[in-house]
Amino acid sequence: MKRLSTIATRHLPRPLYFTLVLLTTVFCLSLLSSAIQDGGLSTLELVLLILYTILMLWISASFWTAAIGFLVLAFQDRGGEGAESASEPTASAETGAFKTALVMPVYNEDPERVFAGLRAMFDSLVATGHSDGFEFFVLSDTREPDIWLQEEQHWRRWTEELGDRVPLFYRNRVENTARKSGNLADFCRDWGGRYRYMIVLDADSIMSGETLVEMVRRMEADRRLALIQVPPVPVNRSSFFARMLQFAGSLYGRLFVAGLAFWQRDTANFWGHNAIIRVRPFADHCGLPKLPGREPFGGDILSHDFVEAALLARAGWKVRLAPDLGGSYEEIPPTLIDYAKRDRRWCQGNLQHARLILAQGFKPLSRLHFAMGVMSYAASPLWLLFLIATGVEAYFKSLQQPEYFFGYNVMPIWPESYVVEMTTVLWVTLVLLFLPKILALVLLALDRDEARRFGGLLKASLSVLIESLLSVLLAPVLMLFQSKFVAAILLRTSVGWPAQQRGDHQTGVLEALGAHGVHTLIAFAVGYVAYVHVPDFFWWFTPVLAGLVLSVPVSILTSRTSLGLRLKEAGLFLTPAETEEPPVLRRLEERLTEPSPPIEAPVGERAFWTRAMMNPGVYALHDALLHDEPQTRRRRHILEGLALQLQDEGEDSLSLREKRALLSHRDGLHLLHTRLWAAPTLEAPPPPANG
Amino acid sequence: MGSGVSDRLDVLDEPAPAAWSTTEDRAPVEQRVRLYLNALGVQDSQETEVLVRRVIERVEFRATLGQLGEPLEVAIEETHRLLDRWLVAELGLESDPDQISAARAAVLGGHVPGWTRRWAGLSEDSLTESIRAVRFQAVPEHAPLTMEPNPIRLCCHRLVRRLAARVLRWLGIRGRHHASAEVQA
Repeated sequence: MKRLSTIATRHLPRPLYFTLVLLTTVFCLSLLSSAIQDGGLSTLELVLLILYTILMLWISASFWTAAIGFLVLAFQDRGGEGAESASEPTASAETGAFKTALVMPVYNEDPERVFAGLRAMFDSLVATGHSDGFEFFVLSDTREPDIWLQEEQHWRRWTEELGDRVPLFYRNRVENTARKSGNLADFCRDWGGRYRYMIVLDADSIMSGETLVEMVRRMEADRRLALIQVPPVPVNRSSFFARMLQFAGSLYGRLFVAGLAFWQRDTANFWGHNAIIRVRPFADHCGLPKLPGREPFGGDILSHDFVEAALLARAGWKVRLAPDLGGSYEEIPPTLIDYAKRDRRWCQGNLQHARLILAQGFKPLSRLHFAMGVMSYAASPLWLLFLIATGVEAYFKSLQQPEYFFGYNVMPIWPESYVVEMTTVLWVTLVLLFLPKILALVLLALDRDEARRFGGLLKASLSVLIESLLSVLLAPVLMLFQSKFVAAILLRTSVGWPAQQRGDHQTGVLEALGAHGVHTLIAFAVGYVAYVHVPDFFWWFTPVLAGLVLSVPVSILTSRTSLGLRLKEAGLFLTPAETEEPPVLRRLEERLTEPSPPIEAPVGERAFWTRAMMNPGVYALHDALLHDEPQTRRRRHILEGLALQLQDEGEDSLSLREKRALLSHRDGLHLLHTRLWAAPTLEAPPPPANG
Repeated sequence: MGSGVSDRLDVLDEPAPAAWSTTEDRAPVEQRVRLYLNALGVQDSQETEVLVRRVIERVEFRATLGQLGEPLEVAIEETHRLLDRWLVAELGLESDPDQISAARAAVLGGHVPGWTRRWAGLSEDSLTESIRAVRFQAVPEHAPLTMEPNPIRLCCHRLVRRLAARVLRWLGIRGRHHASAEVQA
């Protein structure tokens, strides 16, 4: 019996899941086809059915993931059978024979936040009593000179404070080849042999010490396990928009994660951070090739995480999701516009995966991950096309005059009504979209403690209601944003690699008009056309139009931190991370409020990095962190030229690359420092280096 | 020749910087060296005087060799060089740039109390151990792993070309060496 249960547990989930998804799609499709196929199938109707099939597959896949997740969590909660718990004894994770690196790749990020986060994790790790064997590594790809110098100063400050308790290493790459994946690969090439595991963090990642230790313990327990992804919960933002997403991520996210873990089993995915990786197989199998062709579909693989997980699975290693592990957090964009900007970066990487879906050797589930990644952005233009096709179809239908008398029939033949079928299609679609939210509330109803952590069942329900209404308004805006991004990428417009704006900030009127003005205009134009030509369709279309018409005020309003905080005071959109703030997040807050000694630099009109370079202490530290290299006359001349240009024409005359060149070579640095100090008129000199 | 180039050539006709001869010439240089020493962490007036004197001596020496150039720049360079020489002597280094840089960062970072006095030659206490104890180990020892790009065989990549190559090969027109669709680095 036990064997049967084991076989069922191992082999049942995927067939069950995919069968449910397919049956739901076929059911919905049959409803729609019976509703629109009166008198044959036109080309437009065929297009509608194809689009609807793809979209229904997408929606039902998401729905069944959440529904299964609900059952898993409800069953576990009732039976009290949690999966491996983070509170298990962690003594076996004590290392000594091997080391684990906590690697944080950063690119022009706020150094205060980066190092405060690392400090909070360090404190949490020390509190577990198992900090031995862990080492922190900041893998900087920062290009901005100001931020580069600040990172070094933060690193120095921390190493001074900590001594040798837990080593913190720092390196800034000379060339940021292949972006984040290249950064990690270079780390493995240079120091991979030192570590058995690496825990990959993002600049805004926070993980508790218990979770870090537990991740190592689980890796040690299964030698075929190459990667454990711990789903991060969004935290720490105050704007209305972000708090709403944090609430949704915390409440509904756990359903989805539990569902994903149920059917993905040992071929789960890598989300790029908050995951532990076995270093050697990663180095052996996850070196990424450049894709043939030019950007945006060729060149470096941008969303490297999916591909790395697929390569590990291809090589026979296990990749798992750990839905039962808490203590994993991330920060999210504070406003709708920032969220869209992040989507712009992710969109290209995900669409690039379309080329990998049919590549040889990958496991079917890895292909599915690629396809789902593509669909997470392709769904928007498909919805848009579906809406347009529906509108056009409605217009053509409106042109048809019903004929009541055919041939010699005396009795009128009433046109067949498909209102019931169409209404059923609509309701089924709505149920698939909104039922997971209700299921999440049911889970809260089953667990009073958990409900309290979300502010109580009543307030959580109210929050879900508001969130659902707002998501209806936001969905068409995101649909247009993402459709634009997909179109731009298909037209082969590449994205840069802009650093994210992570801190709380608010959207101004001009910014909102710039981003959403077109949405509003589109809404008015489409609304007018629909109202005049297809009035019946217009009323069905109003939720979409309302979202677009209101996009400017909604974008501004949801970016307000005051509103977010007021709702928090009212007990709305509360998350467990807010009601029972985990110690590691509290430590982060404390670290961020600690006064950070500024880099002493003379006051002046010059850029920060040139002023900082006048500080002999800053200069000497930066110089010490560079590598010595043989001097060449040619380089010396170029650097002299740059130093002179800086002196004569100011910093703005230098490109970012030229500024970096001055700061990246010892001879350039020496020239810069000397010339700044030898200027005929000296800006107010900095205080003593060690004062 | 463009005007930009001729403008730059005009610089050649400008009068050379004032010769290093009078007390008035020396005053601004001394003033700048004092400021720079202060920024380095030399606060004590006695130490400052000793070090200023040494720097000025070296600047004067450069002037006698005709290598003065910009006096202010030379003065800063010489101050820097004086510090580096002292560090080399104090630590018994053999001009290893990495070690000198690390030592410089150690003293200028304020990790070695009393170093300015020792630098000025007003203290007999060796600081070798104190300076060596300050380690700026930004990265650990290298422990390399090989990480080569893994091939990914794309489906349908250059399908037409590959099919054509296969047909040609079948017809015996081309050899068997045609490229596969494997994506390498």
